[in-house]
Amino acid sequence: MKRFRYEYGDSPVHLLAALVCFAVSAWALVQVFGAVGMPLNVVKWLVGSLVLHDLILLPVYAGLGVLAARVLLRGRPRDRLRIAALNHLRVPAILAATAFLVWYPMILAKSNPGFERTTGLTKDAYLGRWLLLCAVLFVGSAVIFAIRARGLRAKA
Amino acid sequence: MSDDRTDSRPIPVPPLPDAGPFRTGYFKSPLRGPWLSSLLSSALLPLIVICALTGFLSHAAYQPDLGENGLFDEGVDLYFFDWPTSPAWLYAATQGLHIITGLAAIPILLAKLWAVIPQLFERPAVRSAAHLFERLGLALLVSGALFVFATGVLNIQIYYPFGFSFVPAHYFGSFVFLAGLVLHVVSKVGVMRDAFRQQGVLAPLRDDLEHTEREPDLEGRRTAVPGNPAPATMTRRLLIGTVGAGSVGLAAMGTGQVVGGPLRNLAFLAPRGENAGDGPNDFMVNKSFEAVDIRMEEVGSSWRLALETDGKPGPMLSRDDLMGMELIEADLPIACVEGWSTTQRWSGIRLTELARMAGAEGAAEVEVRSLQKGGVLRKATLTRGQLEAPDSMLALKVNGVDLSLDHGFPARLIVPALPGVHNTKWVKKMVFKT
Repeated sequence: MKRFRYEYGDSPVHLLAALVCFAVSAWALVQVFGAVGMPLNVVKWLVGSLVLHDLILLPVYAGLGVLAARVLLRGRPRDRLRIAALNHLRVPAILAATAFLVWYPMILAKSNPGFERTTGLTKDAYLGRWLLLCAVLFVGSAVIFAIRARGLRAKA
Repeated sequence: MSDDRTDSRPIPVPPLPDAGPFRTGYFKSPLRGPWLSSLLSSALLPLIVICALTGFLSHAAYQPDLGENGLFDEGVDLYFFDWPTSPAWLYAATQGLHIITGLAAIPILLAKLWAVIPQLFERPAVRSAAHLFERLGLALLVSGALFVFATGVLNIQIYYPFGFSFVPAHYFGSFVFLAGLVLHVVSKVGVMRDAFRQQGVLAPLRDDLEHTEREPDLEGRRTAVPGNPAPATMTRRLLIGTVGAGSVGLAAMGTGQVVGGPLRNLAFLAPRGENAGDGPNDFMVNKSFEAVDIRMEEVGSSWRLALETDGKPGPMLSRDDLMGMELIEADLPIACVEGWSTTQRWSGIRLTELARMAGAEGAAEVEVRSLQKGGVLRKATLTRGQLEAPDSMLALKVNGVDLSLDHGFPARLIVPALPGVHNTKWVKKMVFKT
């Protein structure tokens, strides 16, 4: 057993789980390539989603967060008031961005061309609603910050 | 049980440069570490389990073993039972849960990927055979997860930029996702156990900003804890609270689309977030009359419902004939696979009565066909249980008035707990098999 662990790097259960994982995945990929009509697009979307998230989306939003921190905390990295201000920006920004990420087809009216005719629904209302959500989040956060700021200044 | 242990035979791989994200000390957030990953995972896992189970239940609810209900070849049959007809809200509930848990998981999944991103760039790239397998499994897990979530989220907004057909891609993609997840859980359950034992499950949430420091190392394991962290600008409870708020917000939107009534306004960014109006026919339409290939004269006075049993043509019934029969009434939901539903009061002819008229009492199944000429969902086959459920009907009226064209005039199918699109509209023919 010790020998197996040294050679493989983990327990036999891990090896079994790995083999099952690869077998099931291979089966599912063969099935999907046969079933969907556009197998190359599936590969594009599988690999593309990984690249898009890990190498573009995440570095961009993390970079924006670092940038905001640098600007706001320049020269005063431990200033409680400034750190609070940073978070009162970051939290509404994260929530608004998440809402956009999930609902961007509605917000940007991207649904299929027949959408309105098919469902009788409008496509135009959503950008305004999302902007309203942004306004509520940022203004709400600013109001809470203003209330908290008094307390933070008093402590400092 | 984890390859994070360091005492195994090394595998020779080309070295990665000590630069960019591969550089030791590149990732600076003090919040990253095994406790944060474990807490996010323990919120994510139950959501994914519910989402996966309800997804497979939805597949079963379409009864793909009958007629041409199956939209694609599943490879293996994963349904072992006939989908029940009671309670009537069953499909609204399971599919609602599928969409709600799926939406709720998104912010947690994104946070989790943020928490573990340093490990994508770890050096050496491969430490052992187990580590190589684990990383391959992670590639399947993350790409499978992003693929399944992306296609699902696009589908509920009726947006198809991917070109391939949604149903088989989402279905088989989930196998890749779940296979990767099983290997990941087997690999990492030890890390979660150790991290919670060492730091407590919730204790790190109590730290204020002064006490928010890097997580302690886990003995003998490699983790995402930064070697040289920057001072914290956010507490762990604020991070978790923000992720939780996003998750609850998205779940609320999903809930609004399913529950309806005043709650429907919660779904203000989702396509089914509006109440359509106060009239008897003012409720959600999946496919309007205008959008299908049916001519007006086909639904006019010349319309007849054709009944057929085992290949033998039976009676042809006009709408007046049907209106002259005994009508039953029931409050039943239309529950869409896209995660919205709406309950209305329907009246129509009991399906067993139509079977009797067709000489098909005790029929094993019935295929209900629409006047639509195109589209894979222009017909649906029902099980005996669905045919014989007391509230199953060919509806002629809704909320006391005639069906509107958009809701399937002259007649549509309404069966309790049946997935929405199988409640065939503009019915032309019912084919019984005994």
